[in-house]
Amino acid sequence: MPSATIRNAGTVLAVVGVLGVLILHWLVFFWVPTEASQGVIQRIFYIHVPSAWVAFLAFGIVALCSAVYLWLGDERVDQAAAAAAEGGMVFTTIVLLTGPLWGRIAWGTFWTWEPRLTLTLLLWFIYLGYFMVRSSTQDPQRGKRFAAVVGIVGAIDIPLIHISVLWFRSLHPQPVVMNVEGPALPAEMLTVMFVGAGSFLLLFGGIFLLRYSLGLAEQAIAVRARAAQI
Amino acid sequence: MTYLGQVYAIIWKDLLIEVRTRERVASMGAFAVLSGVLFNFAMDWTAVRPQDVGAGLIWMTIVFGGMLGLGRTFMLEASDSAFVGVLMSPAPKDAIFLGKAIANFIFLMLIAVFIVVVFSAFFGLDLGPNPGLVFVVLALGALGFVALGTLFSALASGTGMGETLLPILVFPLLVPMIVFGVSATSRLLAGRPVSEVAGNVRLLGAFAVGAVAAGAALFRFVVEE
Amino acid sequence: MAVAVVADRGAPITRPRLGGETPALEARDVVREFGPTMVAVDGIDLRLQPGEFLTVFGPNGAGKSTLLGLLAGRLRPTRGEISVRGQRLDPGSTEWRSDIGVLSHHGMLYPHLTASENLRFFGRLFGLDALDERVERGLARVDLSDRRDSRVHTLSHGMRQRLAMARALLHDPYVILLDEPYTGLDPHAASVLQSVLMSLRDGQRTVVMVTHNLVQGLQMSTRLAIQVRGRLVWEAARGEVDGRGFESVYHEVVAAR
Repeated sequence: MPSATIRNAGTVLAVVGVLGVLILHWLVFFWVPTEASQGVIQRIFYIHVPSAWVAFLAFGIVALCSAVYLWLGDERVDQAAAAAAEGGMVFTTIVLLTGPLWGRIAWGTFWTWEPRLTLTLLLWFIYLGYFMVRSSTQDPQRGKRFAAVVGIVGAIDIPLIHISVLWFRSLHPQPVVMNVEGPALPAEMLTVMFVGAGSFLLLFGGIFLLRYSLGLAEQAIAVRARAAQI
Repeated sequence: MTYLGQVYAIIWKDLLIEVRTRERVASMGAFAVLSGVLFNFAMDWTAVRPQDVGAGLIWMTIVFGGMLGLGRTFMLEASDSAFVGVLMSPAPKDAIFLGKAIANFIFLMLIAVFIVVVFSAFFGLDLGPNPGLVFVVLALGALGFVALGTLFSALASGTGMGETLLPILVFPLLVPMIVFGVSATSRLLAGRPVSEVAGNVRLLGAFAVGAVAAGAALFRFVVEE
Repeated sequence: MAVAVVADRGAPITRPRLGGETPALEARDVVREFGPTMVAVDGIDLRLQPGEFLTVFGPNGAGKSTLLGLLAGRLRPTRGEISVRGQRLDPGSTEWRSDIGVLSHHGMLYPHLTASENLRFFGRLFGLDALDERVERGLARVDLSDRRDSRVHTLSHGMRQRLAMARALLHDPYVILLDEPYTGLDPHAASVLQSVLMSLRDGQRTVVMVTHNLVQGLQMSTRLAIQVRGRLVWEAARGEVDGRGFESVYHEVVAAR
């Protein structure tokens, strides 16, 4: 695919995503009914929960692309992994900022060692390690391989981290959307939740494609600069 | 058979060097004893029972002491580029990884046993009715820890940041080991029945197997240039 | 000082001898980049037969060590292909590594192991048989039999360099790669290196040496090349130039780039 096409597709997704996020906020503040037991603060969930989905989806992409990169050595796959990691870090940060806000009202404390919040915090640090090793070598190729190794080992460990933090303590409200017996939310709340998921997904897709094409462009410029030198 | 010979050669080399320099085991051992001394002053022992916090202290001392030794693994190799020679030999990269990891495991287990003995003496810790099982739990945790530590120590030594990078990469991944290891150990110290720790031991084993397999498979991407 | 130099292969050769058609060492359009902006080796072709001794000269930063690292299989080429005795240097297989020996100004020795322990360790990694005998012969070859049980950090720099030669040649490779081997050698070590290299050339091994030392580089070579900015910009057979002529050629070529 020519990089202009990717860039345009990224712009479209990002614009639609931003519009979706604006609509989401309108829905969250003015449309959706207030949840009876938790009150107004529950509304932050429409941002918190979809962000978490996107953050973990992004890490899945990072791990998959990292494995393919080590296998085939294709630069573009590495660019995709890095782009997904940058997007994923943004959404992980949103989860970590909105979680404590909710926790302050609901539990009376900014931070608890609630399993999914803990897992997200650890994910954030794995992303951090991913970016640190990426830029820490003289030979950029080597840094990319290092980052891929961090991504893969993180992905192997995350299920075990998940089991261990669940096992350690559970205070979090039980999953209400992804439930085996079907979602247990009223229709309006469910609609907003999916509007949130949809617009964050579009926004992530937009960021991902824009970052990916930017990475390709950076490489092309570096190659051209070298040609000009010679 | 060549494969085992190559793994063995690396273990033998690391042990022999350690016996002659005593660099890592001595520094980790001193670290363990001094940590115990500081813990003594850091806690109000009239308020907490050693039996309740003992498992956590043991595991955290193993982790911090272990980082001390693991961080040095590939720094020692770097002098005179000897490790470049190892990498250019026909030994498969996973054999090199296993050799290094097993040697590190031996050092770490020596230290773990030493820490348990010293802490028992310092704080009057009672190992409970199954002291053997305590060491099995420690060994499983140490195996996973050493595998991740060896992989990421090689990675860190290939970067400009060196050892400072190691905790950032390894600590988030150690959460399962700490959760399952500490809970199994503290239950054993409290004299709970063996059936209560079986689940934890299995998960600790899964962690160890996953870490060793990932390290062996990915090591070549870390040392390749 | 007389040094026993034997050009035997020790253990019987199990691999089939290759016909004259397959070169001992071949590189086809090899490129190595370090990131998109840095090209250390930029399109090098080589074809060396058994008994050939190529010396690559060049100023610092010309990419000589990178070239040697590529030929040794330590670095992977970004593009192009290298093969030793017809085997591609594929990181997935390791057999070709036994055909290559590398000697650099780093000794690649463990300072806390003794001379013989170092050789035994590397011998095991190469899966060599009759190891004791090989180690003894290797030590004798570089005149270090009496220091067999000395730890490497107690040896003088020259002795360490000689031991490094024994390590590089322990598995009797077909292709020997030398990276500035004369750096810091004392006269004895230099003469040992000289006779070892001579025996390799006469024993139909293939040698590639990179150096910026014009005088010592010329003595052994059968072929000469000059590398500047990652490319081999000048090549000739040894017979085509004399020492003084080469020196002026070298300065001309390097200055022109």
